[in-house]
Amino acid sequence: MVHALDEIRRVLVPNGILIDLRPTLDHWPIEVASAREIRETGRMLDFPLGLADDEAANQSMSDAKQKGWFAREQEEFFPFFYSWDSPSELEEWIATEWHEFTGLDDRTKQATRSIWASADADARVRVKVKMLITRWRVAAQNLKAVSQS
Amino acid sequence: MTVQKDSERNETKHLHKFADFTEKRVLEIGCGEGRLTWQYAKETRVTFAIDLDADALRVATIDRPADLESRVYFSLAKSEQLPFSKETFDLAILAWSF
Repeated sequence: MVHALDEIRRVLVPNGILIDLRPTLDHWPIEVASAREIRETGRMLDFPLGLADDEAANQSMSDAKQKGWFAREQEEFFPFFYSWDSPSELEEWIATEWHEFTGLDDRTKQATRSIWASADADARVRVKVKMLITRWRVAAQNLKAVSQS
Repeated sequence: MTVQKDSERNETKHLHKFADFTEKRVLEIGCGEGRLTWQYAKETRVTFAIDLDADALRVATIDRPADLESRVYFSLAKSEQLPFSKETFDLAILAWSF
């Protein structure tokens, strides 16, 4: 990944901007949401592979900063909702798309089904994914190196 | 199975809070089917979006609105070996897939 960041630096103009946008595991909450109310039913499990991916991404950005390629200007977390019509659709999605890095335990599955079954007719099931967005600028030290090359 | 993503449009709001896309030359890495691309590309001068998934790129190309055909380009490329000259872009987006 560090090599990719070096490539991005190469194709950016001096003073160019890199937006790093990615999910970060943090036991994402599961909710049953209708127009009238939102109820949390449990939390996702964070699997080692997913946590290792997050750590690798953080380390790569940290390395790029250490090398003087980019300077961090602004950073924020925000919620990104995935939603489905029913708990079974949520479970199917996790089994097919997210199974390598996150999962659901049986207690949370049961709680989600139960709360959804007694919720309003417009209720959907959703996962509140924690997103990280960071703005990096091609660093001044890099500009000097580029001008000398 | 129908999934809805970011119905509250938090991602779009944050993307525009963090970057001004007006008339910028933009590179998006990890574009997939172009879900994120459509949220900013109309404002750019030109957008090149790359991914390693050929099927996803086909979907992105099919979905591309007619008014963006001369401004948004999708291609199969690796982030470790970008097929572009030095200092081609004003802005890059590293969109980590999940």
